[in-house]
Amino acid sequence: MNDIDEQLSEIIPRLRRFAVSLTRNPSSADDLVQSCLERALSSWSDKRPEGDLRAWLFSILYRQFLDAHRRSRRYARMLEFFTGRDDTQPSAERTVIAQSTLQAFDQLSTEQRALLLWVSVEGLSYKEVAEILDVPTGTVMSRLSRARQALRQLSDGEITRPSLRRLK
Amino acid sequence: MISVPPSERDLHAYVDHQLNDDDRRLVETFLAGNVEMSAQVRAWQQDAQQLRAALSGALQQPANPDLDPALIRQRLKRQSRRHLASAAVLLITVSIGGISGWKAREMTLLSAAAPMADAMQAYRLFAQQGFLPADYRVSDDGDMQGWLDRYFTQAHRLPDLSGAGFKPVSGRLLSTEQGPAAMVVYEDPSGHKVSFYVRPPGPKNFMLPRGSRSDGELQAEYWSGSGYNYAMVSPSDTPAAQMLKQTEQF
Repeated sequence: MNDIDEQLSEIIPRLRRFAVSLTRNPSSADDLVQSCLERALSSWSDKRPEGDLRAWLFSILYRQFLDAHRRSRRYARMLEFFTGRDDTQPSAERTVIAQSTLQAFDQLSTEQRALLLWVSVEGLSYKEVAEILDVPTGTVMSRLSRARQALRQLSDGEITRPSLRRLK
Repeated sequence: MISVPPSERDLHAYVDHQLNDDDRRLVETFLAGNVEMSAQVRAWQQDAQQLRAALSGALQQPANPDLDPALIRQRLKRQSRRHLASAAVLLITVSIGGISGWKAREMTLLSAAAPMADAMQAYRLFAQQGFLPADYRVSDDGDMQGWLDRYFTQAHRLPDLSGAGFKPVSGRLLSTEQGPAAMVVYEDPSGHKVSFYVRPPGPKNFMLPRGSRSDGELQAEYWSGSGYNYAMVSPSDTPAAQMLKQTEQF
């Protein structure tokens, strides 16, 4: 196994986890990871040598997901046109009190899930996230703040009340 | 250095361990005296902690052999070899196709005296003899310039010869001693052919003054620009040759 493959193999479990959090489906997540690795290996020379490998791979995978998602949304809209309904998205009115942080997390938007995973779980710097999303660092921080608040509201009830009570 | 009281952004940066030591201490001092903010920050920290715990299981999936980088690399290599093989069929060498090695050597020796001899040779092989099919053929809405731009990005635009009835019909990639070359063949309604030829100036960076010369039954107009050498080749003593001679700008 060469050096590059070794570095990649270390990150693959993290890529798979990220892909699951985006697709919510383990098998399409692995398809996504596979095409991400293919892209990474064939455009290895585009990677900046000093850049963080993990952040670079996350950014490839995220873009591929968004592209695929856009395509499937178009497809879903077409289906909707023919069948008169849209089965692919949960009803907007459906409000679920999350039983766990994970359920709350799953209800966030794609970008909010990605942001929280990158920053809170993977510990990427704001600057790395700004580069992935191609937005200024300040924008990352305000979006992160909204994502945190959304997660807070969704998971309010179960987890936080005891700790808040304790603080009072 | 952050200001006190810290902004909401500073508090997030604190939660995410993105503050330097001094700023971190400032925030901690502030939080110690502010129950409400402290609860808020602690809730964020707790959410992050919960999320890390909840997602840690997803790192323990059994390995998927399809994701082995070495295998993916092999697969990519096989694919690119297939692409290369098909490209190799398309790319043939002027000096091998049709002329002997000795002739090719002569051509090299003569290259200074006979500029763009390869352009004329290519015309003979492909435009006159129809040796091998074209790599690219213009259909009704084909884009010859687009095809050429894929290989010679900064090159001069294809000359517009439609005034004389000539339209680009086919393109071919060639390899020459000076580097990769492309030839675009124009045709008029009666089947007369003119070629536009472009290639790098070669390792000696041999740039040409604008000129014209005849070789046998062919005539070439040649020039240099944008880092390439060019030639327009046509049979001598035809209206097309006259037209090319008189065309000031290609």
